[in-house]
Amino acid sequence: MAKFLGINRLGRLFQAIREAGGLKQAYLKLYRNDDLKTGKLIGIDKYGNKYYENPYYFYGRNRWVEFTPHVNMDYDASQIPAEWYGWMHYKTDLPPIRDGCRPKHKWIADHSENLSGTKEAYAPYTTTTPKIEAWNPNKK
Amino acid sequence: MYGIVKGLLQLPGRVLLKQPARWKLDTTNMYDKLKFEFTEQNLCRAKEMLTNYGEKEQRGALLPLLDLAQRQYGWLPITAIKAVADMLKVDHFEAFEVASFYTMFRMRPEGKFRLMVCTSTPCFLRGSDVVLNTCKEVLNLNENETSSDMQFTLRTVCCYGACANAPVLGVNDDIYEDLTVPAVEDILSCLKNDVIPPAGPRAGRFCSEPVSGPTTLLCPPTPPGYCMQELCKPKKKC
Amino acid sequence: MIRAPLVKALGALGSPTHQIASRAVRTSAVVAQTPAKAPEKIEVFVDDIPVKVLPGTTVLQAAAEIGVEIPRFCYHERLAIAGNCRMCLVEVEKSPKPVAACAMPVMKGWRIKTNSDLTRKAREGVMEFLLMNHPLDCPICDQGGECDLQDQAMAFGSDRSRFTDINYTGKRAVEDKDIGPLVKTVMTRCIHCTRCVRFASEVAGVDDLGTTGRGNDMQIGTYVEKLFLTELSGNVIDLCPVGALTNKPYSFVARPWEIRKVSSIDVLDAVGSNIVVSTRTNEVLRILPRENDDVNEEWLADKSRFACDGLKRQRLVAPMVRMPNGELQAVEWEGALIAVAKALKNAGGQIAGVAGQLADVEAMVALKDLVNRLGGENLVTEQDFIKGSGIDVRSSYLLNSSIAGLATTDAVLLVGTNPRYEAPLVNTRLRKAFMHNEMQLASIGPNIDLSYEHKNLGADASLIKDVCSGSHEFSKVLEGAKKPAIIIGADLLARPDGAAIHATISEYCQKLKKADWNPFNVLHNSASQVGAFDVGYQPGLQRMLQNQPKVLFLLNADSGKLTRDQLPKDCFVVYIGSHGDNGASIADAVLPGAAYTEKQGIYVNTEGRAQQTLPGVSPPGMAREDWKILRALSEIVGKPLAYDTLDELRSRLDDIAPHLTRLGELVPASNSEASPQTTPNKSISGGAIDVKLKELRDYFMTDAISRASPTMAKCISAVNKQQRQNEEAKQSAAI
Repeated sequence: MAKFLGINRLGRLFQAIREAGGLKQAYLKLYRNDDLKTGKLIGIDKYGNKYYENPYYFYGRNRWVEFTPHVNMDYDASQIPAEWYGWMHYKTDLPPIRDGCRPKHKWIADHSENLSGTKEAYAPYTTTTPKIEAWNPNKK
Repeated sequence: MYGIVKGLLQLPGRVLLKQPARWKLDTTNMYDKLKFEFTEQNLCRAKEMLTNYGEKEQRGALLPLLDLAQRQYGWLPITAIKAVADMLKVDHFEAFEVASFYTMFRMRPEGKFRLMVCTSTPCFLRGSDVVLNTCKEVLNLNENETSSDMQFTLRTVCCYGACANAPVLGVNDDIYEDLTVPAVEDILSCLKNDVIPPAGPRAGRFCSEPVSGPTTLLCPPTPPGYCMQELCKPKKKC
Repeated sequence: MIRAPLVKALGALGSPTHQIASRAVRTSAVVAQTPAKAPEKIEVFVDDIPVKVLPGTTVLQAAAEIGVEIPRFCYHERLAIAGNCRMCLVEVEKSPKPVAACAMPVMKGWRIKTNSDLTRKAREGVMEFLLMNHPLDCPICDQGGECDLQDQAMAFGSDRSRFTDINYTGKRAVEDKDIGPLVKTVMTRCIHCTRCVRFASEVAGVDDLGTTGRGNDMQIGTYVEKLFLTELSGNVIDLCPVGALTNKPYSFVARPWEIRKVSSIDVLDAVGSNIVVSTRTNEVLRILPRENDDVNEEWLADKSRFACDGLKRQRLVAPMVRMPNGELQAVEWEGALIAVAKALKNAGGQIAGVAGQLADVEAMVALKDLVNRLGGENLVTEQDFIKGSGIDVRSSYLLNSSIAGLATTDAVLLVGTNPRYEAPLVNTRLRKAFMHNEMQLASIGPNIDLSYEHKNLGADASLIKDVCSGSHEFSKVLEGAKKPAIIIGADLLARPDGAAIHATISEYCQKLKKADWNPFNVLHNSASQVGAFDVGYQPGLQRMLQNQPKVLFLLNADSGKLTRDQLPKDCFVVYIGSHGDNGASIADAVLPGAAYTEKQGIYVNTEGRAQQTLPGVSPPGMAREDWKILRALSEIVGKPLAYDTLDELRSRLDDIAPHLTRLGELVPASNSEASPQTTPNKSISGGAIDVKLKELRDYFMTDAISRASPTMAKCISAVNKQQRQNEEAKQSAAI
């Protein structure tokens, strides 16, 4: 009956608010993520992104990330590091924190997000000499 | 060990070493440094030759003069060509073009005796290949080779115009005709001893008359006026 | 060298009539005196079409008269007939064998069949033989697309080949020759047409090229390893029907179908050769000659052809102003023009202009108008000429005999000039006269190599007086000649006694003058000079410097004759031009102009022929056409010039001197014009006459464009290297 009326959903809402830590926090989370879900915290990467899972939601929405708070609204899917990428895209069900075989080398480069559209974005430059070589008056 | 290391170190140098260039003339080549001057006698001859040509046709003397220079020197170094060109006031290159065109001008030193075996059809039919092989065997030379002592150069040529006396072997300016293997061997052994055997047919005939002796023109020609007296006699009246 | 009796191409001197007439004159004076009766024309049939030609016409020319093209490789209109490629074989009725059309004179009633089975079979056979020893490297060949062999193989060749022994002996291969930095050789492609050999010995006058060997071993080359270095070497590239001789700086750059062609004028010497500028994506790739029988025939000098890569280097792409720290700094147009305008306003009329070697007439007129409107009168050319009133009469500074006319001369005196390097294509005309007209040539000046025989009278200037007074033995030759000519170098007239020399010679020329022949010639070496005099510039920098200008315009003036030390300290120098060279480095403001391939400008050549360049590419960066810069400047100064478009400017030119806009026409200075009557106040002082361009190495760099050209630099180092080698060889030979 409760299921029929959707009251259990209401309960889940309350649970989500509770997990968020209060009404204000829940509002902020909703504002930031456009979504308010309850789920099990699977792990936190070294940047502070939190990865959640809740099999209640259907496949494709049952794993999500809450980006580290200091990026605020400037989050971007490319901020997910490579090791979590596989889990997020269902390439594996084994989250990296539980994966002992994952290679760790000194030379593995730190993850960097996609910088397109920012000042640090990569801009290609020409390597050919110009067709016209200008006169440089101050060259002797 | 030292040898291996040395060899390894030298390897790139060897690889980069240029192949000896095909015969080439350049301004620093030795061919340019061979001095050439007509001898006094030849200079006289050259001047004599020049008188055959008019003032403006001096360039016509190019071939005879190049030949003269070649006879004097044995072959035609580039300096000789230049000397001839300067003498006739033609361009150096023009003289060089002429010298390089005609095969009888030799632009490289060759043996003292140049053996030239004719290999064109009539000679071949009469066994010029045997003559050539004999030459090769006796002299231990291949075609277009010069012996190391600069005595002999073996060449094949195409037709001396002595087809009636085939096969034919030319030695410098002389032609030996009607050759057989012993005849060739005889000629070569003479040449090896620096004796120049008499030129001509070796089949015991004179020039190119038939081997079995003349068949026509057997008596000397009749003197002028032959039979004229009879013609002059008054005819018998019938 | 012997004056070889050449089997001349009949078309070489124009129509066959002309040819035969001139031959008659040469061979016997008696024939010349009797009124020349035109020889009767004979009728022949080309493909059953009757055509009447003069006796002596070749089959090929007879066919050309009715528009039938016979394929050829070795035949070239301006070279002697060789007849060695056999491509022009045609069938003649009743002839047992096909005849070589290029070398066979027609006989009366011949029926020539240019498209019969026999003819076609002959062509296919020749083509098959040619292709047998020709590499199949068209895809990597620079001639691809403009190759005579390709075209004719398509048009006249067979569609199949019997050449099958590719695995057996392979094709003939020939070593490439290094003949210099301009011409690239791939000798395997050579089909032995000997056009290059004939060009070198007949037109260029150097016998460096020739054939060696015979038969399959025949090679074209230089007999000792030596560079083919002449001022005309580039023409063998055009002549080569295949890709054996190609343009080295242009190699692997472009295909002929990718490029755009613009007809233009060369300005690197005063001949005004007609050129085609090949461009692609706003870049000048190469320069080819354009046929013009009155100017350059179809040749082009090497500097004109190969200096085009100088158009891409040392360019001025932005206006510049000299900052207080003494360095030139790029600024916007506005800033530069305002800086110049400020200086102009403070100058108070003490403004001068110098027109350099590459200035076009439009810019010179715009500069003159601007300077005049601001109250200045001081407009000079960088190249010096005689002082005094020598340039009032147009005929006193032109090559009056005309360039084409020089080929018909029979006695020539060169005074202080080396036409071989000052104007190579004028020298080819003189050489032509020498070869075909028995022309006698003498020179006063240093003993130079003109590529043909001439008598050097000596270098002393007093010889001019001797010749002109008629006491010298060469005077008799000149006076006895039908078409004598005296050619004076422009540099000679810059001497202090230049006016005296000029007056002496022009007075003597009055004596030599014929009804339609003016023997007085000045050979200029800068393309702008005649145009500058035509629009009223005065010669010489000295005149300008005396007036202590406050603002000085340098219009392409790059020769380096003018230094900063000669100018007053407070003089503001404005440079307008295309290249950063001597002019720009002494300037206070640099206004980037367009080079000759980037603008439509009129240039007047040394014989007084006005011709225009057309833009092939746009000026680089912020550079603009020179006259537009001056027009914009006039607006800012507040004295706007009265023309906004090129057409309006051209009509202004028309007002100044109508001949300037009669493009391509030779407007001769009228013969009746009085020669300058000013008596020379100075007599000819003695002293040796010198010319600037004595050797080939002096030739390559004479102006801002060629000085910027890497190819020209390579040429000079090649010449130097060759000379070093020759000296070494000589030394070792001496040892």
